[in-house]
Order: sequence, then C-alpha cells, then structure tokens
Amino acid sequence: MSRKAVEIAGRRLSLSNLEKDLYPSYGFTKAHILEYYLGIAKFILPHLKDRALTLKRYPEGVEKDFFFEKRCPSHHPEWVNTAEVSPDEGERMTVCLVNDLATLMWVENLASLELHVPLARVDSPETPDSMVFDLDPGDRANILSCARVALMLRDLLSGLRLTSYVKTSGKKGLHVYVPLNRKETTFENTKTFSKAVAEIMQKNYPNLVTAKMAKEYRKAKVFINWAQNDSSKTMICVYSLRAREKPVVSFPLAWKELENLSKQGDPEKLQIKHSEAVGRAEKQGDLFREVIVKKQKLPYL
Amino acid sequence: MAGKAIWKGYINFGDVNLPVKLHTAIKEDRIQFHLLHKRDHLKLRQQMICAFEKKPVPTEAQVKGFEVEEGKYIIVDPDEIEQTAPEDSRMIEVREFVKTEQIDPLFLERVYYLEPDVPLKGYDALVGALKEMEVAGICTWAMRKRYYLGALQTGGKILRLTTLRYADEVISLKSLELPDIPLSEKELKIGSDLINRLTAPFQPQKFENEHQKKLQSLIEKKARGEKIAVLRPRRLKPTAPDKLLQALEASLKKVA
Amino acid sequence: MQGIWSGTISFSLVAIPVDLVKAVDSGRVSFRMLHSKDYSPLQRRMFCPEEETMVPPDEIIRGYEIGPDKYILISDEELESVSPERSRTIEIVEFIDMDEVDPIYYDHPYYLIPSKGGEKAYRLLVEVMRRTHKAGLAKFVLGEREYLVAVYSSEGALALITLHYREEILPDEDISPKKGKIEDEEKSRIKQNIRKMMADFDPGKYADKRRKEIMDLLKKKAKEKAPVEAPEMEGEEGEGPADLVAALKESMRKVKKNR
Repeated sequence: MSRKAVEIAGRRLSLSNLEKDLYPSYGFTKAHILEYYLGIAKFILPHLKDRALTLKRYPEGVEKDFFFEKRCPSHHPEWVNTAEVSPDEGERMTVCLVNDLATLMWVENLASLELHVPLARVDSPETPDSMVFDLDPGDRANILSCARVALMLRDLLSGLRLTSYVKTSGKKGLHVYVPLNRKETTFENTKTFSKAVAEIMQKNYPNLVTAKMAKEYRKAKVFINWAQNDSSKTMICVYSLRAREKPVVSFPLAWKELENLSKQGDPEKLQIKHSEAVGRAEKQGDLFREVIVKKQKLPYL
Repeated sequence: MAGKAIWKGYINFGDVNLPVKLHTAIKEDRIQFHLLHKRDHLKLRQQMICAFEKKPVPTEAQVKGFEVEEGKYIIVDPDEIEQTAPEDSRMIEVREFVKTEQIDPLFLERVYYLEPDVPLKGYDALVGALKEMEVAGICTWAMRKRYYLGALQTGGKILRLTTLRYADEVISLKSLELPDIPLSEKELKIGSDLINRLTAPFQPQKFENEHQKKLQSLIEKKARGEKIAVLRPRRLKPTAPDKLLQALEASLKKVA
Repeated sequence: MQGIWSGTISFSLVAIPVDLVKAVDSGRVSFRMLHSKDYSPLQRRMFCPEEETMVPPDEIIRGYEIGPDKYILISDEELESVSPERSRTIEIVEFIDMDEVDPIYYDHPYYLIPSKGGEKAYRLLVEVMRRTHKAGLAKFVLGEREYLVAVYSSEGALALITLHYREEILPDEDISPKKGKIEDEEKSRIKQNIRKMMADFDPGKYADKRRKEIMDLLKKKAKEKAPVEAPEMEGEEGEGPADLVAALKESMRKVKKNR
C-alpha cells in the first residue's frame, strides 16, 4: 500500500493506494481517478458547492461492495467544510460540502467514485435550484428512447418559455434540468409541475413514456421520474464518474448534439468517457453552467 | 453518596484479579420541560409516523433497516442484532499501561467509581501503584451487550474506570490547516502577560449553575403572574485584526 | 451554517467570532425505523394524543410542570433572555492550569473554529494559551442549559470541553475501602507488572468489535437477499393545477404539429 503526501491549494493531504485498480476490466486506478477529478475540478466544483454530499465509495473497485455515506466521515481534516442537517427533525447529522479542490481530492482518495447531491443547497434545504426530469429507460428501451423523450420535453417546456439543459446520467438514461434559482421556489412547486408534465407526456405518447414507477409499466418505455424533485432525493452530480465497467461520466450535451446523436442511432456515442470529458469541457466550457445561474419562474402554479 | 452499583467485574492483568463493583459517578440535575401544544397546552407525545401514509405506526409494525443505497434497506431482525451482542464476561482486562498525561480529554467518555468487592485484598495496593507511577491501565471489557474500551485510573483514594472513545470517533485535528496568520512578538507578549494575570487556581466550587437558578426564578415569576422583560442576547463586536494590539494593551491596563 | 452554534469567544476586551463544531462522532451503526407493511421510513413527530394529529414545530411550546396538568409556558425568547449575555458569548473569566483539573470534571468535547474576520485573534489565543500552558474557564449557554467550559489549545486549534458542576459529581467516601493494612509487598509486585506492560497511548489500536460484527452481518445479508425498497409517493391522482394542464396541452399541441 503506497501513501503519498501532497499539497493541494495550500492543504496537506495523504493519498493512499494510488496503484489500486478500481475499474479492473478497463484498467483505471485510484491515481487515474484523482487525475480525472483534478482535470475536471473547475467544472464540477461550482455544481458541488454548498450541497450535502452523498458519497458512494468503492474501496475495492467497481466490481465489489460499495457503501454509501450521507454522514461526513468523522476522520475528515478540519478544513473540509461541513454542515449540520436534521433530515428527520430529530436526528442531527454532519454532512460534507465539497467546496474546494482539496476536499474533492480528499473525497476521491476515499474512493467515492460517484458524487450525489441534492437539488437544494444546504442552507436552504427546501428550496430547489432546479427542476429535474430523470429519464430512466425500461429493460427493453435504451438511451436513444430517452433522447427522443428529452427532445420532446425540451420543446414542450420551451412552449411554456422555460429553457432546459440535458446531461447523460452516465448509465442508461438522461437528465433534463430546468434552472430556477429563485428563493421562492419550493419542492412542492417542482414536484407538482414535473408530475403534470410527465403525465401529459404519458398521455400523448403512451407507448414511449410512462410517469408511473412500478416496474410492470416500464418495460419498453422511458420512465419520467418526476418524484426525484424532493428534498430527500439526490442526483448524480454533473461531471461525476459512474461506477460502471468503464469510467463513464455524467456529461452535459448541447441540444443540437443530442439531436445529431439521436439521428445517428448509436447509443455508445452517448457514453462520454473520462478522457473525452476533460478535453471537451476545456474546449467548450461548462455547458451546465446556466443550470446554477439562470433564473426562471415556473408559470401557472 | 455515590450512585448505585450497576455492574460487577474483575480487574485482570498479570496475576492481579481484583473484584470490583461499578458505581455511577455523575448525577445531572436539570429542569425538565415538557413539550406542549400551543393551542390547548396538552402534553405532546413522540410518535413514529409513516412518511408515506402520514399516520402513526404502532411498535409491532416497526422494523429496523440499514440503508445501503438511497431508499433501499436491509431489514434486520432484533434477534440477529442480539446475537452480535457480547456476553457479559465480568472480566475487565487491562491490556497495557500508559502515562496518564498522554490521555487526551477528547477520548474520555463516562466515569465510574470502582468499589472493592469481596475479597478485599489488593485494592489499596493497586491504587498506590497507579498513583505513584502516574499511569492508567487501558482495558477492554464487555458490559450490557456492548464492548468497551476504558482507562483504569485513581481518583483520590479510589479506583475509577472511564470509558474511552474509539479512535475513529474523535474527529482529527491532526491535518489541521487553519490560516497561519503572523503575529508580532509584542502581541504575543502582551497576550501571555494578560493570561498570566488572569490565571487563578482551579476551584470548581466557585462556579454555580446560575442559569438554572435564573430559569427557576423565571418560572416562579411567571407562576405568580408577573410580567417578564424579554432581553435581547448581547452580541459582542468582534475585534478587528488591526485593533488587536490595542485591545490587548487596554485589557492589560484594566487588570493591572 | 457551519456548525452547532455560532457566536463570540472573549477574554477581557478581545472578542473573536467563532463557530462551535463537533469533536466526536458516535461510531454506532445507525439504523432507520421502517414500517413493516411497506418499508416506508418512519419519522419522529410530536403527536397530540387528544386531537390525534401531528403537530408541526411552530405549534409547540415548552412547559414546566407545576402540578397535574398545570404548566408554566416558556417561549424561546424568554429562555434566551434568562442569560442574554451568555447566549451568544463564551466569556473567559479566568485562566487555569489544565493539570489542576481532575478529569472527572470533563463532560463533552467540541472544537471552535474561527469565523470570518476572527482568524488573527483566534490564532493569538491559540498561541498564547499554548505558550503559557493555560486553559480558559468560561460559562456559556447552549440550548436550554448553561455550561461551565474549559477552552484549551491543542494542535493549533481551540478545543472546548463542557465541565460538570461540583454538585453533579457524587461523593465517593462511602465506597472507598475502610482503613486496611499497608500492602507494600503487593504494591511492589503490581508495579513490576505495570512496568512490563508500559506502552504509549494509541487508541487506534482498538476497534469497536460489535460495530464490525454488525457490519459483517449486514454485508452477509446484503448478499443473501436484495434490499427492500420503500414505495414511491405517487402523489394525488389527477392532472395538476388546471391552468398548468391547459398550458401544457396547448404547448403539446404545437410540439406534435412540428414533429
């Protein structure tokens, strides 16, 4: 087991197990993971800032046990920002906030390959910054079906003057985000709105879309999981790695690109790998920036 | 009077096998409040409510689960958990001895007094040895279905057993990186002088729980129907970094 | 919000803005209580047994019982006003040598970290307490209680430990052994044993066995059976607010036309 002491942005950190292969069938070690997150740091940090982190740790790699933690590991360095939350009006819990590069590296050193965050920030946990449409394909559907649904959602929402943004989940689905960024918004608002949208989609495209969670409704359809709009739920953070066979990333796509890829018909092209992710982000910037900046109001509520 | 005896065990190391009884050492005396409904002043009860149905759930319909992934749980049977509980072994095994001063107060949890049980031989000798060598025994034992780590020390004429926190339960200060702000020798000197001037011997009997007394008197006042003046909490203005030396000098003058 | 409490720590005329944060975290494996019917998580709520309804936090008030069903009500402001000067301030009134403190006084530890603007004064206090080897003694109010606390310097930061009041420490005279014979030989033998077992204090050597056993049990169970899932809240049946549904219908009509 190797240990290496480094200094990152003025903080001292001890990195361990750098040669450990965490994606064994692909060949991607802890060092590679740290390298990825270092490269993507300036793009991912604004999306992690002040959000209660749920760590999903794979200390033995993606093929072995993982454990997920909402509590900030007690052995955290003092400079890691934390916050106290009371998810149940009873239990208090300390959570980590990945607010700087050193903390991101510390979290990745713990093999938290996947970073999941809530839609609201920790100081206003009942105020979602955006509304999300989590598109999840059934067993007999795939990401291309999700792309069709996502493009229709974009148009439907734009008819109500709402701008939306899309990213890959890094697995089989897509996530469509509608930025709101207003302190008056509640989860009640986003849940009601997204449910109404999901239901009208289901009504008009019953063979493609379902708004119901139960498995028997899903098989060849895309499930629009509107219930993710809740203070207790988390979403994979944009630019986070996924613990799949290959180090694929939850990556934002421009709508135009999604249209082209959808026409091309190759689902593999929608899986963005780590190396591609950093290069593209450097070239085109953070396509998801507007999700945390743009102010919009949900109409008709 | 010490608290009641809650457990019996044997202190064990080398050829020492000393029977003892554990007594609680701390008694907290607090004003207890009940939580009431504002509307009708009825006493409220804590209930477990089902998040889905929004209705109270009786104990028979409650199960324990461990969250492995968001919204997904492994159900555990109380009997299975029970099986992991250790048997009371009655043996307080001393694993090693350390210099008492090495034990950081962050690790100390709960103190028990140890009363010698029959047969009495050896207790005073152990007290003497620990005291003269200024050491504590680090021990492990199983009590009331839990495994404990503790420190065996002396307190006056008797032995005490203090439970210790496990290493990963104490949040580390080691990798501390608080901003390193340069301070002038003058500031440090005046600060040190000030502290020395304000130093007094530790006399805990000087301190009374005034808040408790004031709270009691508030309750009595309200009971008599008197009006209560609600005072705003005072917030001190923080000392600006460039005014620090000034504040220190003024403080020193004040105590001189 | 950075911690459990935020306020100011002061000594003489120096005031330092700080946050109080946890220093220790229980290692116990935490479980959630679930409804056996559908595995929905359960939440603790205050419940009015007479009216048989849940009561939200803003309808709850503290009461002190002075007789059967007779209470004196105390509001949050009234509680905070009892010691207003102490609710937001830790005022160090004197300094002591920690070596003089019998460890039986120690109750619960916390850390203090500087908030914005207080970094320099914080550093000074840490440094001068370290140099003089002293700790600050103060009183402060947290929640409904007032604590006597010791603030000391450790590894470049300030730790705060609440102390028990004298009257909370039970006397031990009644359990100390009555005068017995001096056991010098026994004492020497014990000292010999002790010398053979000396080591440096390292709590890292010891792990919580029970916690490990429970985790092993959970890992085993996770392999045997898939974890259960709580039901999704389907929400009310029905389409949603009328205006929204109408607007969506109109927008959908246009989307279909353009496809």
